[in-house]
Amino acid sequence: MSLKVDSKQRTALMFHIPAIVLLTLITMVPLIYNLRISFYDFSLTRAGSRDIFVGLENYKMILSDHEFWNSMWVTAKFVIASTFIQLVLGVIIALMLNYYSGSLNRLLTSLVMIPMMVAPLVVGLMYSFILNPQFGLYSFLVDLFHLNLSKTPLSAGGSALFVLILTDVWEWTPFMALMTLAALKAAPIEPYEAALIDGANRSQIFFRITIPLIRPVIAVSIILRGVEACKVFDKAFILTGGGPGNSTEVIDLFTYREAFVKYNFSYAAALCVVLFIIMLIFGILYWNFVIGKQSND
Amino acid sequence: MTKKALAIRRTVLIIFILFILMYLIPYFWLISTSFKTRVEAFSIPPKLIFKATIKNYRMVFIEKNFGKNLLNSMIVAFFVTSISLIVGLPSAYAFSRFRMKGDKILFFYLLGTRFTPVIVLSLPLYFIMADLRLLNSFIGIILAHSAFNIAFVVWMMKGFFDTIPKEIDESARVDGCSWLGSFFRISIPLTAHGIAATSIFCAINSWNEFLMAFILTGYKTATLPVALPGLMTPQGTFWGQIAAVGSVITIPVLIFAFIVQKYMVQGMSAGAIK
Repeated sequence: MSLKVDSKQRTALMFHIPAIVLLTLITMVPLIYNLRISFYDFSLTRAGSRDIFVGLENYKMILSDHEFWNSMWVTAKFVIASTFIQLVLGVIIALMLNYYSGSLNRLLTSLVMIPMMVAPLVVGLMYSFILNPQFGLYSFLVDLFHLNLSKTPLSAGGSALFVLILTDVWEWTPFMALMTLAALKAAPIEPYEAALIDGANRSQIFFRITIPLIRPVIAVSIILRGVEACKVFDKAFILTGGGPGNSTEVIDLFTYREAFVKYNFSYAAALCVVLFIIMLIFGILYWNFVIGKQSND
Repeated sequence: MTKKALAIRRTVLIIFILFILMYLIPYFWLISTSFKTRVEAFSIPPKLIFKATIKNYRMVFIEKNFGKNLLNSMIVAFFVTSISLIVGLPSAYAFSRFRMKGDKILFFYLLGTRFTPVIVLSLPLYFIMADLRLLNSFIGIILAHSAFNIAFVVWMMKGFFDTIPKEIDESARVDGCSWLGSFFRISIPLTAHGIAATSIFCAINSWNEFLMAFILTGYKTATLPVALPGLMTPQGTFWGQIAAVGSVITIPVLIFAFIVQKYMVQGMSAGAIK
């Protein structure tokens, strides 16, 4: 019996070996190398600095770096606002889509999913074109309707962050909508029948039956979107470049700048370790809440 | 249904469709700008009816050599997809069929690559690739993109393999087929549609990726997204050409996405929902 188990183990290992080897080489080795660099004082602007060991000095610098904390705060605002707006809009769109069936549903779903297939960089460029103060569609509309809005939303901190959030909402609301739609379609019909027999009204059905049924999927979607939003880079890079000032400098952009604009490699490596640990905590939480639950069912 | 209810239903549908179309205006705007001349693109009020021209496309893809970047994007996406499938499929199969000591750790590790920010991997890979003289090479960027896509293949394909009843494998085993044989001759053919969908998602992931390609590629290997910001110069921004490149990046993705629409949610949430 034990022999049979062992042979199965060996077969399993054989199937896993290519992935284990390649992932070790292209993810594990770089991450360990990154950890090593973070204890040194490697900077491109100083020769020989690659070998100066400084211990935890880079990490101490991070904790007292105002720009780091600013980036964390900007990212937090961005993640919370964009995920929340996507959630609300996405659920509404999903409920609408769920109302139609057949080829009409397929056509509408195809249209709805367009934004999330557009490369994030292109989304950023698209909006910088539309928001161009001289010839953009936005400033034309502001003039046309005599709106009391700034014609250059990207030149003020608060509104620039708002625009960045909007581009993310534009791109990823479809994701929330499709996830919710899938949950709605998979929902059993019996609770609805029972509710109708008991004479429940529409809002009661929505809040007491629909919401609880789709809640697990919505929870997963929020986590997935939240994690992806933490990693926003392309749109901020091309649309605002972190500015004005550093009002839209999200954490990945800040880290990128430290590494490839200021060439503070070791400091950036330490930032990467911090980011990795933060995401690891999210990963463990996610694992315990979602995957753990699934395997218990 | 009463006449009034039908009328309400129809009105709601029209409002909903109008809302979706308005939502998509920014994208339609990009496509239409790519076919406009410079004067038309900048005219106020915006011109809705204009004479379409392919001048932007000719200018950017032939004279500015973006054709080369288009080819680079295709090469990278093709090899990333191939490597990710070759490495990811067996692992996905094993997760679906066997329990192994420590496979939970491996599973968590694969999930981890999904949570890891691109910059966290790009920075050390930049140093390693520089030491190995692989910066600006296809090998560098292909391996880097594969790092994220292998996990994706495992997550998505495990779901497809799970849909094949274990009895089919077992009966093949009884007939003297090895696990490898049943993997190649039974499980792979039975999940062909799933593999096709997974490949398309992999290719799209690589095709749309910017940051890692921006850091690891150079003049010779730059993909389309990497070359695109080069059209914003201090002398001015070539909006028509940016729109042309943007259209060429997005239109093939949309075509493929519509083909795998059925698997859209599965692909987007790979690893999150069974």
